[in-house]
Amino acid sequence: MSLIEPIQFATLVVLVLNALGVAALIILKAINRSRRRRAEARKRSHMRLISRHVAFEHSTDPVPAKAATDPAFIDALIDVRNALAGSDLENLERLVARHGVVDELVSDLRRSFPKVKRLRAAMALAELADDEAVPVLLEHLDDREPEIRVQAARGLGRMKWTPAIDAIVARFGMETPWVRARFADTLIGFGSAATWPLVAYVTVNHRHETAGPVAAIRTLAAIGDDEAVKPLIEVLHAGADPEVAIAVIEALGHLENPMAAPVLRSATRDADWRIRAKAVTALGLLADTESLEDLAAALHDPEWWVRRNAAAALGVIPGGLDRLYEALTGRDHPASEAAIEALVDIGELAAARARIEEGNGRTRDHDLISVAEAGR
Amino acid sequence: MPKILIADDSETITTLLTTALESNGYEVSVASDGHQAYQLGIDSEHDLAILDQLMPGLLGIEVIEKWREEGIETPVIILTGVDDERTAVESLDRGAVDYVRKPFRLPELLARIRQRI
Repeated sequence: MSLIEPIQFATLVVLVLNALGVAALIILKAINRSRRRRAEARKRSHMRLISRHVAFEHSTDPVPAKAATDPAFIDALIDVRNALAGSDLENLERLVARHGVVDELVSDLRRSFPKVKRLRAAMALAELADDEAVPVLLEHLDDREPEIRVQAARGLGRMKWTPAIDAIVARFGMETPWVRARFADTLIGFGSAATWPLVAYVTVNHRHETAGPVAAIRTLAAIGDDEAVKPLIEVLHAGADPEVAIAVIEALGHLENPMAAPVLRSATRDADWRIRAKAVTALGLLADTESLEDLAAALHDPEWWVRRNAAAALGVIPGGLDRLYEALTGRDHPASEAAIEALVDIGELAAARARIEEGNGRTRDHDLISVAEAGR
Repeated sequence: MPKILIADDSETITTLLTTALESNGYEVSVASDGHQAYQLGIDSEHDLAILDQLMPGLLGIEVIEKWREEGIETPVIILTGVDDERTAVESLDRGAVDYVRKPFRLPELLARIRQRI
């Protein structure tokens, strides 16, 4: 009896505590839901107000005194901003300036905490892309929080503030891969204005670091500016680190400029198989007919990855099919395997079958089918 | 008072357009998806419809097609994404009278509306 009573009491306490916990959770959820609904209603009301100010330059509809501190007002401003273009944006910018929105956000960003508030301010400044925010965004490229550094760069990118390009590029080498990738997105948005700062960064840094220059080279490839071709070739000639060289070769393939063909042909004979594998792929992207000999030679490379890429490249270059058929019936078995794989991938096997069925089959069509069937 | 139907799943766009159009003397009805837009077009006559191309339910172009099948000849301006040249051309082929790319300029959109009413 004396033992059962404490157990019953403890069970009761646990049940009561559980019930209280559940009740607290339900109340918190209800409060949150109601808070969210109120914020949504405020946002809708702000959106109507902002729309009137945008539609009529001299609208006299009063804006609440503390609108700039209300996240619902900021969200509404951002939504309306993203829906509009041209002179309507000027009306919106006037509204932003008149109510000190940027100043309020800048002051939130400059706080030391809480992080959520600072991040919200950085995101809002990036979205609003107001010129007044340039100094604070530049300053926060060095913020202690990576997400805020990313938002600072994004905001400068949205404003197309080209003087910021050097500052963003300069941080490539010191950033984490995630931040570097987001910085790269921003630089791609700048387009060819970012080409020379990136080229300069690669040229100066490729000898003593890898991650930064590799990211910069990939960014150059994504921008797609032919101005980068010559400097990238020079980086290869300068005997770059293999990772950098691989990135350069990939970029040269992506840029599809014929000027890069000779250096890529030389790279098909590099001692490093990874470089050879990338070089043959790049030559395929260039569709360079003068590279047929080098690609045909690469079909006999000791590394299967190089052979496979060379065969795929020959499949897309005019005249390359003949080289694949030659390899198909040659004595080098690995080269023949690479050739058949590429011929199947580009639909040549099916085409050969169709030609034979139509009565137009050539000797090489029969060769292809017999090699393919023998391989099964 | 000319009557305009706006259909877009973005509340920002419908609020903006409603505010601008009402202030310019138009009567506005709003739909937030393709089915609702189709039904509003069937239920009452409009002088013009501004339809977003990418709406839940029915696409803007599909709403036009279904209206035309029902004999409803309301002129339609299609709202398209900024890079959606193909949809813009297709919408004209399928009976839209004009198209406007998002993000848009309100004065330009209002001018296009005036031209059609």
